[in-house]
Amino acid sequence: MVRIINFVCVALTGFACLALYHVSEQTRVASLELRRVNHEIAAEHGTMSVLQAEWARVADPARIQHLAEADLGVGDTPTVELSSLELLPRRGQAEPLGNSPVHEANDTVPAKQNDPRIRLAAVRPGN
Amino acid sequence: MDAAAPLTVVQRRIAIAAVLCVAAFAAVGGWLVDVTLFGGHDGSVAPHQVLQSRADIVDRNGELLARDLPVHDLYAQPGVFWNKDQAATELAAAVGASDARLRRIFASKHRFVLVARQLAPNAQDRVLRLGLPDLEFVRSYKRYYPKGYAAAQVIGLTDPDGNGLTGLELGLGPRLRAPQDGAAPKPVQLSLDMRVQYALAQEVANARQEFTAKAAGGIVMNVDTGEILAMVSLPAPGDASVVAPAGGADPYRNRMVDDVYELGSVFKIFSFAMALEDHTITSLDEQFPIGRGYKIGRHTIHDAEKMPATLSVRDILAQSSNIGTAQIVLLSGADRQKAFLAKLGLLSAVHTELPGDARSLYPSHWGDIQTATIGFGQGISISPLAYVRAAAEVVNGGRAITPTFLKHPEDARGAQLISPQTSATIRQLLRYVVTNGTGKSADVPGYDVGGKTGSAQVPGPDGRYLRGALRTSFCAIFPADNPRYLVFVLLDRPHGTKKTFGFALAGFTTAPLAGRVIARIAPLLGLPPAPVHTVAKENS
Repeated sequence: MVRIINFVCVALTGFACLALYHVSEQTRVASLELRRVNHEIAAEHGTMSVLQAEWARVADPARIQHLAEADLGVGDTPTVELSSLELLPRRGQAEPLGNSPVHEANDTVPAKQNDPRIRLAAVRPGN
Repeated sequence: MDAAAPLTVVQRRIAIAAVLCVAAFAAVGGWLVDVTLFGGHDGSVAPHQVLQSRADIVDRNGELLARDLPVHDLYAQPGVFWNKDQAATELAAAVGASDARLRRIFASKHRFVLVARQLAPNAQDRVLRLGLPDLEFVRSYKRYYPKGYAAAQVIGLTDPDGNGLTGLELGLGPRLRAPQDGAAPKPVQLSLDMRVQYALAQEVANARQEFTAKAAGGIVMNVDTGEILAMVSLPAPGDASVVAPAGGADPYRNRMVDDVYELGSVFKIFSFAMALEDHTITSLDEQFPIGRGYKIGRHTIHDAEKMPATLSVRDILAQSSNIGTAQIVLLSGADRQKAFLAKLGLLSAVHTELPGDARSLYPSHWGDIQTATIGFGQGISISPLAYVRAAAEVVNGGRAITPTFLKHPEDARGAQLISPQTSATIRQLLRYVVTNGTGKSADVPGYDVGGKTGSAQVPGPDGRYLRGALRTSFCAIFPADNPRYLVFVLLDRPHGTKKTFGFALAGFTTAPLAGRVIARIAPLLGLPPAPVHTVAKENS
């Protein structure tokens, strides 16, 4: 009986050793992989952080305006907002545009005088 | 073997050892089963975060304004270099440091020396390519402002160790520091809207250049929440005008917060609000004699321009008559005026998240002449931010408001300071100033702008007013009947141009400036234009 118990114990010991080794090896590999992934995540976070900052820099309105003026010859365009989408009549419930306040709106946008960049683009007969 | 025979000592020890072995293996086996089959302890770790010493600063739309970017500090052990002078020269070229300084510290007795701080990745690559031994890169952070100098006086600066030096970087203090547990700090969202900031900065800079003004500034504020959407103070860092020392002026000084000015006629808003509260004027059509001067003791008050013999209350404000305003404020008296201005917070400093809080300057003796001059904005110096707060309180229904640089979109109006009726009448008067008075050039079709001009005399170093020197300002609200935003612009000592017929008064300088600012920012702020028939009527 003692021999059988001894045999079972030794067998269990051997099995446990193998299982422990297997788990420990798996853990070590997983740990290395985790460290690598964590490092990659940190590096990606750092890259994203830098790229976000770079995007904020390149999308700065002052920089875009400078580039537009320097490379495209585009200047400030005076704008006047006469209406908004909310004020436009909905389909099916619209009054004729000829009577609507939108049609009666009028305003003039002051154009820059003597600006060499402004060229005659179109001529309306009668004007 | 007899089963009842007692165990020998050896047998007993073997049995005990066997039991212990079985127990130990059972425990290990049980743990293995737990770990492999049931998951056991969750050994996962949080993903590695980018460590930051300070929180990001973003504008109200999430645009990045300030961030800590990872950089490296470079340390070296000079003792391991074969040729210290050559190493110093190569490192100096790679990191942009002084060759002489590196030679000196490499020759010192220190084993571990700092070569350069806050190296960018490209500089780090150059150093690595040198192949020098035992260099150590210690991770560090550099505060980066992607918008450059935009709103630099508001956002502020940090030192190389990440401590706030000026602006909100200093004023927000603990809110910007990373928590002690190593977690990434949450971004701090400001009330600034960088689209509005850019529009305001550009228009103010253009006006400053057009009128060759010494300095200029502007503020855009939400009158219900107290949020500052934009703040500009020129000269600013990065301006061509401050590359050469401008009389020792600090470009990081925020004139809108740190300085106090006599603002002139924009102050009349408060005089009229007081008169309406006190019912000392019964009707806006009530007539006051104007004439060519108004004598108080040995002083005579004049108007900047020739006025009719009499003016109604509404035209006194619209034509900005000092004589009429003096008569109106004297009906309330000095004590009442002082109490009223104090109630609006004009006699005390404005506390915001910014570190500076300029205190108002006003006369210690507040007699009749002081009451009259303060009524039209001379003889009292306040910061533009204090003015903006008080003006917002007058037009927002008469309720107290606290300016803030942090996003807070909810209505933050507090105690009732003046009656809603007075506030409504002032709004009506401000609209009248723009349609029929000195502020005509501030009008923007569709937005019903209301406002008040101010052209103040500028005192010299000896306290006397400088001849021909003006400080012009304009306080605009829009839409006038139910204002959401207030725009305040200021030009310090503008000069008239051919276009303005040589005049530098606010109606020619700051009023059109405010109009241009509103025309640009109103669509950005999502304000629908007023019904079009109003536009058509006003343009006809």
